[in-house]
Amino acid sequence: MLLAADVDTLYLGEDFFGLRLPHSFKRPEVAEIVHLAHAAGKKVTVAVNAIMHNDRIAKVADYLDFLAALQVDQITVGDPGVIYLLQQKKLNLPFIYDAEVLVTSARQVNFWAKHGASGAVIAREVPHDELTEMVTELQIPGEIQVYGATCIHQSGRPLLHNYFNFVKEHQDRADRARGLFVSAPHKPETHYSIYEDFNGTHVFANNDLNLITKLAELNDLGLTHWKLDGLFADRDQFVSIAQTFVAAKKAILAQKWTPDLVEQLDEQVSTNQPANRGLDTGFYEIDPSEVQ
Amino acid sequence: MRTITNKPEVLAPAGTLEKLKVAINYGADAVYIGGDAYGLRTRAGNFSFDQMREGVAFAQAHNAKVYVAANIVAHEGDVQGAGKFFRTLRDIGISAVIVSDPSLIEIAITEAPGLPVHLSTQASATNYETLNFWQNEGLERVVLAREVGIEEIKEMRRHTNVQIEAFIHGAMCIGYSGRCVLSNHMSMRDANRGGCAQNCRWKYDLFEMPTMGEKQTEADPKTPFTMSAVDMAMIEHIPDLVEAGVNSFKIEGRMKSIHYVSTVANVYRRAVDSYCADPDHYVLNQAWVDELWKVAQREMSTGFYYGTPTEDDELFGKRRKRPQYTFVGQVLDYDAKRQVAMVQQRNNFGVGDKIEFYGPHFTHHEEVIQQLWDKDNDILRRAPDAMMVYQVPVGIPVKAGDMLRKERAK
Repeated sequence: MLLAADVDTLYLGEDFFGLRLPHSFKRPEVAEIVHLAHAAGKKVTVAVNAIMHNDRIAKVADYLDFLAALQVDQITVGDPGVIYLLQQKKLNLPFIYDAEVLVTSARQVNFWAKHGASGAVIAREVPHDELTEMVTELQIPGEIQVYGATCIHQSGRPLLHNYFNFVKEHQDRADRARGLFVSAPHKPETHYSIYEDFNGTHVFANNDLNLITKLAELNDLGLTHWKLDGLFADRDQFVSIAQTFVAAKKAILAQKWTPDLVEQLDEQVSTNQPANRGLDTGFYEIDPSEVQ
Repeated sequence: MRTITNKPEVLAPAGTLEKLKVAINYGADAVYIGGDAYGLRTRAGNFSFDQMREGVAFAQAHNAKVYVAANIVAHEGDVQGAGKFFRTLRDIGISAVIVSDPSLIEIAITEAPGLPVHLSTQASATNYETLNFWQNEGLERVVLAREVGIEEIKEMRRHTNVQIEAFIHGAMCIGYSGRCVLSNHMSMRDANRGGCAQNCRWKYDLFEMPTMGEKQTEADPKTPFTMSAVDMAMIEHIPDLVEAGVNSFKIEGRMKSIHYVSTVANVYRRAVDSYCADPDHYVLNQAWVDELWKVAQREMSTGFYYGTPTEDDELFGKRRKRPQYTFVGQVLDYDAKRQVAMVQQRNNFGVGDKIEFYGPHFTHHEEVIQQLWDKDNDILRRAPDAMMVYQVPVGIPVKAGDMLRKERAK
């Protein structure tokens, strides 16, 4: 369906190797998707961006061989151990550096470019005013999240189960489908998603990101790799959201980007947003000097 | 008799020049400090270059090393001047910089050659190939993520010979250090640039919310959800850490007092020396454990060393352990002829109080204060003023640098 929505690249993976994925795909499924995507002239990025402990890094080499043989277009990587393996194995497998919140400057991105990165996912905490400085220095494309949930904390501990055990309230489920939130003290209106999975406990920003109204600005900056995160989205609605962003891209390229259209597209994103999730522009419009 | 030849270093925090000297006097092989820039403890007392020079001279005279933490994750413009900063550190005689951001690592290596670089725990190094990567880049040492267990360290040792530093004592992040921006999003303070507001330790409501605003509370209202780790203490596991091949035992706490730094460095110095001198006959001394409790601010656990932490490794409700002892002063000088200690006051004490004196090499004694005079030999009952020097007659000789504490009334 996403292919039919005319996205350029699919992003997917298996949670043994990748972080916070909507679905954990086994190898045969990955193979099938890669074939489908390539037949449709689209690319596939596979997530290999977990924080790897020894037990996992031991299995990464084989996974990289598998992905290279499949001719996966690129992978995301956040652990330098994986980059070390790529260097040792000399595989033809381009990688995008993705250490989430840590990717905050052009100089850092360029460090990874020197180590073979073909792109980097820029941290959501980099405001527009810093992006404008960053793009002039970037030696490889910066990928920028324009829609979806923003992870703001990863713990190696089962924080929800530890809590349930402490209050002696036995609960089996603390997974994403359960739909748990926390609110900050004295701010009952806040709602930070939280769940546990194989990679630990994850906490997300108060609202999902929606930069659809900023796409022309990003395009002008040369930031044309737009990432949509469907972690908490409804399957069908996420396809609609993807279609909306594809329509935006086409309008910008055709120089038909008008205020009316922007309003209409923004409305479409909001309409397809899950009922229990808000939208905002995250750190994009924040004045960098406001951050202490 | 077997001895340990690759004896690990005891590495202590030093928020100020005074703490640096105390840490080294109390047995630290090395200390880590912050400079005026690029460090994560913007609110710790950071060192000017002149203070660093004095610290390095003191350390060298005591055969110790000084490392500088420059472990921010830089945004655009933040790394300006870093090359010069690192060259100055190198020329001052700093033994290594502790860095997390690859841009700063690259600057240190290319622009300040000869200055060893250690990877900060903020970079979350959790596997041996990551260690190999950074060694290949020219780093001397990697500080492991706190999520790494003893068995994992042993496995790393089989695959890499880069130096391994591991936290053995102190406060812990609840998440992967560096991978947490709760503070950025909740408090507009950048956790990775020294602004961490410790939002993890807040008390949260936990709920389901099928549609926006319709909360269905899941939490026990008497016990709010929180993400607050108890502190780490590995005193009971020194043999495991040494045998796993950890080269440097790191104590957390650049913001903590000289009472804390002196006590913790003293204990681990003693334990490491004792084990390495005769590992086959080593016994854990309960006095070391008791000593650590005197400066504990929370309960203590072994973190991830022996498995994934449970609810017992977190602080919920009102289980917080209060410090049992109050730091009351430091001996500046001792007049052996008059048997009088010159004590700089840090908290109120006076005649009738039972005081514990302790010093480097784990010396301890207790006595009840019988008399007290100010500088002018005027007789006093209490020593009320912070940082003022009082004369305290003592029955057992003490030395400059010894500390005084008293047990709190229960």
